[in-house]
Amino acid sequence: MTVPTVRYTDERLPNGLRLVISEDHLVPVVAVNIWYDVGSKHEQPGKTGFAHLFEHVMFQGSRHVAKTEHFALVQAAGGSLNGSTWLDRTNYFETLPSHQLELALWLEADRMGTLLEALSQENLDNQRAVVKNEKRSSYDNQPYGTWQEKLLGHLYPEDHPYHHPTIGSMEDLDAASLEDVAAFFRTYYAPNNAVLSIVGDVDPVQARAWVDRYFGPLAANPAIPAFHAEPLPLTLGGEQRETVPDRVPLPRIYVGYRAPTLGDRRLYALEIAAQVLAGGKGSRLHRRLVRDAQIAQDVAMFGLGFASGPSVFMGWATVRPDATVEAVETALFDELARIGIDPISDDELDRAKALIETDELAGLQRVGERADRLSMYATLFDDPGEINLQLERYLAVTPEDVRAACAEFLVADNRVVLTYVPADAAVESTEAA
Amino acid sequence: MNAPDPVEAALGVRPVPGTPRPFTFPAAARGRLSGGLALVTVNLPGRPLVSASLYLPNGAVDEPADEGGATVLAARALTEGTLHRDAVALTEAAERLGATLRAEAGWDATVVGVDVPAERLGPALELLAELVLEPAFPQREVERLRDQRLNDLLQAKVDPARRAEEAFVETIYAPGTPYARVAGGRRETVETLDAGILRRAYGRRGDPDRGALIVGGDLAGLDVAGLVEPFFGELAAGAAASAGLPVVEDGLDRTRVRLVHRPRAVQSELRVGHLGLPRLSPDYHAVSVMAMILGGLFNSRLNMKLREEKGYTYGAGAGFDFRRFAGPFSARAAVNIDATVPALTDLLAELRRIREAAPSDAEMRAARDYLVGVFPLRFETPGPIVAALGGLVTFGLPADELDRYRPAVDAVTAGDVLTAARTHLHLERLAVIVVGDADVVGADLEKAGIGDVEVVREPEPLAEEA
Repeated sequence: MTVPTVRYTDERLPNGLRLVISEDHLVPVVAVNIWYDVGSKHEQPGKTGFAHLFEHVMFQGSRHVAKTEHFALVQAAGGSLNGSTWLDRTNYFETLPSHQLELALWLEADRMGTLLEALSQENLDNQRAVVKNEKRSSYDNQPYGTWQEKLLGHLYPEDHPYHHPTIGSMEDLDAASLEDVAAFFRTYYAPNNAVLSIVGDVDPVQARAWVDRYFGPLAANPAIPAFHAEPLPLTLGGEQRETVPDRVPLPRIYVGYRAPTLGDRRLYALEIAAQVLAGGKGSRLHRRLVRDAQIAQDVAMFGLGFASGPSVFMGWATVRPDATVEAVETALFDELARIGIDPISDDELDRAKALIETDELAGLQRVGERADRLSMYATLFDDPGEINLQLERYLAVTPEDVRAACAEFLVADNRVVLTYVPADAAVESTEAA
Repeated sequence: MNAPDPVEAALGVRPVPGTPRPFTFPAAARGRLSGGLALVTVNLPGRPLVSASLYLPNGAVDEPADEGGATVLAARALTEGTLHRDAVALTEAAERLGATLRAEAGWDATVVGVDVPAERLGPALELLAELVLEPAFPQREVERLRDQRLNDLLQAKVDPARRAEEAFVETIYAPGTPYARVAGGRRETVETLDAGILRRAYGRRGDPDRGALIVGGDLAGLDVAGLVEPFFGELAAGAAASAGLPVVEDGLDRTRVRLVHRPRAVQSELRVGHLGLPRLSPDYHAVSVMAMILGGLFNSRLNMKLREEKGYTYGAGAGFDFRRFAGPFSARAAVNIDATVPALTDLLAELRRIREAAPSDAEMRAARDYLVGVFPLRFETPGPIVAALGGLVTFGLPADELDRYRPAVDAVTAGDVLTAARTHLHLERLAVIVVGDADVVGADLEKAGIGDVEVVREPEPLAEEA
């Protein structure tokens, strides 16, 4: 099987906007995707959660677009859309019937150029309340909901940009001001800090003309501050543990390791390891903990790749009521150690690669996903062409690569262990009585 | 004279849409295997990842109440071993093909399928046939799946959205009727499930016309009928179940407010609604447009009021879950605890308002244009195309239903929406579910006068109970 090559063009407007176009006329739909090279890692102390709050403000209108009209216009055009914030970036995306491409370009340009003209205290306060409810829904009111904050908190020192999650803290969200929004916009939301990808049923000549027209007049920011994070060792240099009482019926062990930075070939080896360890019913951890010993309810292992420092390799196991935390932890760490001692079998490697190949095929068949990946590789690797090299990089991994990467990173003095346990039963049942 | 502003010159005029490129739902070829099973194939050039799904007329709705959860668990057990291989061998065989086997049951059907690169479709279908035709239901694996489901139910008790869903369906449906439980079943019945019950649930095939094998993707050079005949040819379409149709019964005769106590919750999870209507209702399209305006679009009335105006929530919505029989209608939001009663008041006001007057032209356009315009986006890849064709089979809809969908939506008028709201939203008998801190919101909720408030206080779902 071959995964089809993604053909694209890659150019820059005079104001620095990077434009990537990839044609695919199978279905009359087109994806527009913008990555801004700004994420929660750019937030200043006392301003955590700001990049994400700002993303919400981007839907509150600009000079020619009223509050919430961005959503209204795209949905009425038969499109789907959203934005998202991550540690390394913020992205905005629409997929629409192809004859509506110009609308999406105009909308994105209008807010890139004129957002501040529609900014109001009322809209900021409204979205601050919305985001605080997002934090409550997705984190504070969820079982095990604090794991991300705790894991990042232990894996990165307090002054490191990856120490805090994108959602930030309630106090910092409360402190965000109109001046903060304006300064953030002027600094980071400039054409020379963005990649615009257009993928699908598109006439590239026409699309380029629209991009020139709508984005061309927008001013670059010649003074985007260079991002800097103090270099960290790729390993932690000591185990960190925390026991977290929570309102949960089943204990759960989260384990997180520092891992190589995005682009490092050892990260590909670790992703193969994640598949061998916990990718589906044939995986080692699933077999041992869930199926054979029947001590875990579920297991998971995956990597979170970061661009400006160590990445995270992590996972969890949920402890069944009739098992002990200790038994699950012992078996979990035993498997995580074993994969760094004996090379995985050729069959395990081949199965992992076959599934990764199918995943690539599945992901790349959607124009929205293809556009997001082109923007990602252009932003983080300065080369959208990385989209066509990923599969080779996975296929090049050998059993010895996997063993060596696991031996280097999946070790006790590079790990954070969070143990969630049911909160004090006595207190709870008194209240329930 | 001032120089013209180049930004204004560029952005001052809104673009108008170009000419739409026509899109039609991909043509499907229909035939039958020798045993009677319907075969539907859709050739999608340029889509090398093929999606194949076998729709079997075994839904959770068809199982007896005292075996609640058996159908869902039986489907899960299909990948846990066959007469020839155990689960690990089965999984490994699929993985070598770069394929993932899926087997899931819902209220209406059991769907067993595989997604696989086209050149390995044959061996993948052979595996699929093995688990469909020769499942072993191994005792040990069945017991493990059952215990995992029981643990999952424990976890659902502390997940606000799942807890609200559970309380909601058991309030809007009469006790003991199918939809009054979640499809995976409740503790009391799941505890009693064993391999024999699962085998029986899997063998309980309903109307054979609700079964089909559907294959979509780049099928160039593949004789799909020839490929599947040796594996599925003998799969009898099955005899119609002799038992009568399941009876779905309304559980509400008045508005009931149920407050499920969640100590120290920072939000209240809200569900408001009642029994809705079946997929085959002639009002399907009008109700779909109405639900979009009320709580489907981002700019729906509920989301605009509760999120964009009041900031009570990250998102508010409403919709009908269309099933073979009358599934639920629900409006929903998770709101900060201080806003519990004000948010409920606003939510109920929007339910009243959409029954009082026809929506504006702008609202009608937004909803219709979205549903019509988003159609090609929904069917970009083989998976959703196969699933849509599966829906036709499951619900007994005509083959041209997907071609008629957009004209039918376009024909819905503001008057139709008003009629649909008045006919299908019942404000005098609502279930109002609040999962939140009863010590904080209980008194205000009583005072709000929505209905009698029943406070549900449960012991903590501790692991020791399992």
